[in-house]
Amino acid sequence: MVLSLRDVSLSLQGNAGMVDILHSISLEVARGDTLGLVGPSGSGKSSLLMLMGGLEKATGGEVMALGNDLTEMDEDQLARFRRSHMGVVFQSFHLIPTMTALENVATPLELAGVVDAFDRAQAELQAVGLGHRTDHYPAQLSGGEQQRVALARAAAPRPDILLADEPTGNLDQATGEAIMDLLFGLRDRYGATLVLVTHSTELAARCDRTIRLVDGRLDTETVNAKAAE
Amino acid sequence: MNWLRQAATIARRELRGGLSGFRVFLACLALGVAAIAAVGSVRVSITDGLAREGSVILGGDAELQFHYRRASDEERAVLEGLGSVSEILDFRSMAATGDGPDADRALTQVKAVDDLYPLVGRVELSPDIPLSDALADNGIVAHPVLMDRLGMAIGDALYLGTKRFTLRAALTREPDAGGAGFGLGPRTLVSLAALDGSGLVSEGSLFEAQYRIDMGDVSDEVLDATEVQVGTAFADAGARWRDRRNAAPQVERFVDRIGSFLVLVGLAGLAVGGVGVSAAVRSYLERKTGVIATLKTLGAEGRVIFAAYMMQIGVLAVLGIAIGLALGAAIPLAIGPLIKAQLPVPVALGVHLGPLLEAALYGALTALVFTLWPLARTEQVRAASLFRDVSGAVRIWPRKRYIAALTLAVVVLIASSAILSGIPTLALYSAGGIIVALALLIGAAWGVRRLSRALAGTRAVRGHPALRLALGSVGGPGGEATAVVLSLGLGLTVLAAVGQIDANMRAAIDRDLPEIAPSYFFVDIQPDQLPVFLDRVENDPAVSRVDTAPMLGGVVRSIAGKPASEIDHWVTRGDRRISFADTPGEGTRVVEGEFWPEGYTGPPQISFAREEAQELGIKLGDEIVMNVLGRDITGTVTNFREVDFSSGGIGFVIIFNTAALQGAPHTWLSTVYAEESAEAAILRDVAGDAPNITAIRVRDAIALVTEVLGALAAATSWGAGATLLTGFIVLIGAAAAGERSRTFEASVLKTLGATRATILTSFAIRSALLGAAAGTVAIIGGALAGWGILTFVMEAPFTFEWRSALAIVLGGSLATLLAGLAFAWRPLAARPAGVLRAQD
Repeated sequence: MVLSLRDVSLSLQGNAGMVDILHSISLEVARGDTLGLVGPSGSGKSSLLMLMGGLEKATGGEVMALGNDLTEMDEDQLARFRRSHMGVVFQSFHLIPTMTALENVATPLELAGVVDAFDRAQAELQAVGLGHRTDHYPAQLSGGEQQRVALARAAAPRPDILLADEPTGNLDQATGEAIMDLLFGLRDRYGATLVLVTHSTELAARCDRTIRLVDGRLDTETVNAKAAE
Repeated sequence: MNWLRQAATIARRELRGGLSGFRVFLACLALGVAAIAAVGSVRVSITDGLAREGSVILGGDAELQFHYRRASDEERAVLEGLGSVSEILDFRSMAATGDGPDADRALTQVKAVDDLYPLVGRVELSPDIPLSDALADNGIVAHPVLMDRLGMAIGDALYLGTKRFTLRAALTREPDAGGAGFGLGPRTLVSLAALDGSGLVSEGSLFEAQYRIDMGDVSDEVLDATEVQVGTAFADAGARWRDRRNAAPQVERFVDRIGSFLVLVGLAGLAVGGVGVSAAVRSYLERKTGVIATLKTLGAEGRVIFAAYMMQIGVLAVLGIAIGLALGAAIPLAIGPLIKAQLPVPVALGVHLGPLLEAALYGALTALVFTLWPLARTEQVRAASLFRDVSGAVRIWPRKRYIAALTLAVVVLIASSAILSGIPTLALYSAGGIIVALALLIGAAWGVRRLSRALAGTRAVRGHPALRLALGSVGGPGGEATAVVLSLGLGLTVLAAVGQIDANMRAAIDRDLPEIAPSYFFVDIQPDQLPVFLDRVENDPAVSRVDTAPMLGGVVRSIAGKPASEIDHWVTRGDRRISFADTPGEGTRVVEGEFWPEGYTGPPQISFAREEAQELGIKLGDEIVMNVLGRDITGTVTNFREVDFSSGGIGFVIIFNTAALQGAPHTWLSTVYAEESAEAAILRDVAGDAPNITAIRVRDAIALVTEVLGALAAATSWGAGATLLTGFIVLIGAAAAGERSRTFEASVLKTLGATRATILTSFAIRSALLGAAAGTVAIIGGALAGWGILTFVMEAPFTFEWRSALAIVLGGSLATLLAGLAFAWRPLAARPAGVLRAQD
């Protein structure tokens, strides 16, 4: 299994005390699988994705990624792990505003010590159709373009796992569809495992499986026929 | 005026949000205003004290001072017609522990007083005995410093010249010390009667006779009338009048100068604070872009928006100024005892309205200058901002009327500082310096951003993510480069300028002077003592050079027909030592005109120092009238000489031909250049042969000057320190403001695989880069300011002082590094999920 969560729970400190976000979640994702996480607002799907990426620390249970227990790692070990094995795409793109598109994409490669980081970053941007906008800063790009840069950045290190947190949430429908095509295209090209958080049942249906969360608990799991075909 | 009411309503509602974003704004304004108010209050406390206690400092309601002679009986009779008169003779002498060659000797400033002294105030002695008892029967009282220097105790014998005195008490308080001016030796008091037969004061000796008058309870008008009356009666006497209203002109001038200078340093501090004020307002208004756009959508006009935010900033500025004024008024009261202990004059501590108003004016104008620009831009915010992302939008210039208002505010600020400081030239130079420094810093910030941008894109930094991240952050849009470089840079520039001036002055004294200066100045050598004196020093193999010149005192009365009282120059102020000569002498360079022929006996001729002649506008052929020992002598300037006063050797501004003054009683001055090891023996022998001769050890005099300069440098360093503190607050503000973006950046970088060490290194590099940029500009700006002030104001040579400059750059880099790192912990500790995840 690429991802394996056992009895995972998450509680966070809120203004009025501890808030339980996730309760006893257990699930597994096999290599090359695509998994859609759906559910109403506040159901904990983004939190679950953050746990899978080691961006949040579980307060209980075990989060295994590629055989490594993420709950046992410190911040730097997690960073090094992500550098080699994970790519993350966010709803709000989260590009570094002081860097050009090319620099944003090259950064994870540089951090991983890739010698030809910039050449590869250039190729990734070309692959998402932004080869002509490499020197632009995020503020000079449209929302769709920014998300394409974010996709290129996530895919550039050839990660084993791609995590996407509502990647089309800030985009119009047409642009969103184009981004999803790109995301699935990248996944197909590199054979990565994809976990996708979305509100859209249509998008979720493009995944092999869909898990629905309600109030921080696994509610239903669906194997998508379209994906299975 | 409905729109103003609307603006006030909006302002009031907006202010309910609290002051959380304005701590730096308030701190910067309050600190700048407090510094200026405190310096101004201390200055007024001192000048008020001088005015209130004028008669105590002067030692009477009025004083008539004669140079090198006592008043004649007729003159004395005129003075006694004005009130009770006390006579004092003031002169330098050598105090010795014995009359033999092995006695310890030290220079002292002697005051010989009559029974009426002090007419006003009280002398305090330890043990607490009446002064008349202490001085009776050849008694003497001495300042504790002199007692320490000579290792003396009460009851010991103390010699002045050949006269033996008995030390009766330590002089712990001399009421009229503040009016005495600058003395090279600690004070001793003896009775006037005891001087008879001591040989200390004779014709041609360098002494001052002061006649203090107690006129009873008289008004200023009576004093004015008396001054005129005395001026007429003593028109040809070469005497100088002072009254209680200008009792301590030297102290007053010193306090005034240093106070004005510190106010200027304070203004520089306020300018630094202005950068923080401006940054705070800009960041506040950026946060309010949505609100402004919404208000516009709802129909608010541009002027309503401008007025609403102007009112909010105005309220905050008033609060900041009020805090500053409260601090500025309280600080002098808190440190009052310390100031009182340091000064020889009374200090009238209290809350003084004048300096507080001055500080408030500067604070208000600075707030206006630094907030008008961002405020004016609120008019340009479009309602459409709500519907699209405006980050990175093109900067828009404010309307012309705001630019005109800003220019006017700058002009009023500069003009008020020029007028109120009392040193308009220096104020204008300082204002120019601050504007140039700000321009340089803005240029440097732009340059460092462009350079970082360019470097971030080069292949050389690829593969070094920490460095590239730092360069990208400094060079990229929305960075903090400009705010950091400006705030720190201006503070460091002021500190660098003070550092350069201080280091140059110290270097001039420490390095240059002792190499060429003589070991001793011997004064009061009577003509009949000269051969014995010369025999001793000229035949000493350790002595490399001996210069001698006759010397007598005189007062310039007029130059080319213009009375000296109307000419403000040090040559025409007070008594002037003059000399006479038959030939130009070895090493003298006559640069214009002809020196009189040897043996010249015609009408009196004068050789004048060239530089001073130029300053006074004297031309060859001009007539100068000098009063020498009560007699007016008119001489014609026939040549100019090059005189280098910095060499420490003999240098007279005015030299007459020998025949003009030979008959006048005079003494000889001699400079002796000797090896340091031989100095003690020379002093012992000369003093043993002729105890009346006063030896001024140049090394001691230099040490005293260095000490005074050190105190000056310390005062200015405190001023510059306050400026730097403001800079640091602005820096902290900038770092705090950048914390949010750094937290975001750190979270993204962690997601992409950056370790905390990589992120921290990147933060450190960018802080160091900005600090180094600010430090570099500070060196250039500080060196330029130091050069300007030394060259044009102090008229001293300038050498770039590396050590001081290096300390500034290192300090600047370290300060930004610390501020940057202090605000790095939270970003580093933040969990990426909390910052980056979508709301689900």
